[in-house]
Amino acid sequence: MSEALVRIFENVVLTEEKSLRAGYFNDLSIAEMHTLTAIGPYDARTMTNTAEDLGITTGTLTVAIDRLVKKGYVHRERDKRDKRIVRISLTHNGKLACRMNSKFHRVLAKHILAGYDEADRKKLLDLVNEVDQYVEQQLKRYEGSENVRATARQVAKDTTKEKK
Amino acid sequence: MGESNITREKILEEVIRIMAETLEISPEEITADLNFNSDLPFDSLQLYEFVIDVEEHYNIRLPDELLDEVKTVNDIVDVVYKLAVK
Repeated sequence: MSEALVRIFENVVLTEEKSLRAGYFNDLSIAEMHTLTAIGPYDARTMTNTAEDLGITTGTLTVAIDRLVKKGYVHRERDKRDKRIVRISLTHNGKLACRMNSKFHRVLAKHILAGYDEADRKKLLDLVNEVDQYVEQQLKRYEGSENVRATARQVAKDTTKEKK
Repeated sequence: MGESNITREKILEEVIRIMAETLEISPEEITADLNFNSDLPFDSLQLYEFVIDVEEHYNIRLPDELLDEVKTVNDIVDVVYKLAVK
């Protein structure tokens, strides 16, 4: 089970990476594509909110946005009323890349579900949601944790206890 | 946009214009009954180019879930009309 989970995760990322390299947006890395997705195709967002969603610092996001602005995928401007706030939004090309990437995910999900009937689909979706919630919970334990190694040890310890 | 005096005919005309521009064909070649899958030569990139242009022109949102229901030019005009007159 654990091997299969890790393999699924790695292969999805790898497939996404390869499809990006082979496609129209081969100047984008996966991390950059995820940054575009976090900004989203519609409203402008603040740097702070986007960094929070991506789980990175605003400093790291600034470096990423600098590159995406240069490549023509992101538009950046200061708020007209409060100059301290920087707002970012996707350019036409950025929106295009974001939507093509969403389509990749949708097609992948559609193909995975295609072999199942309605009842099995529901069962599969319920199970996937449970796994998703569990992984999300584990991730939350690291929030605000300065010592990631200690938290990882605690997670491993608790998981072993649960198994017993 | 969100104009209240906007008509369905105007939207059909504009949608066909944007579509023809994206596909680099003459607007005369496009009629309201044409099907996106079988009649119009869109690849997936062109399709999103068209969708984003329509979104920006009318200041509306056309998420994939909504587009799943769209089969013909008439269908997309109906969706745009509904959203643009709101």
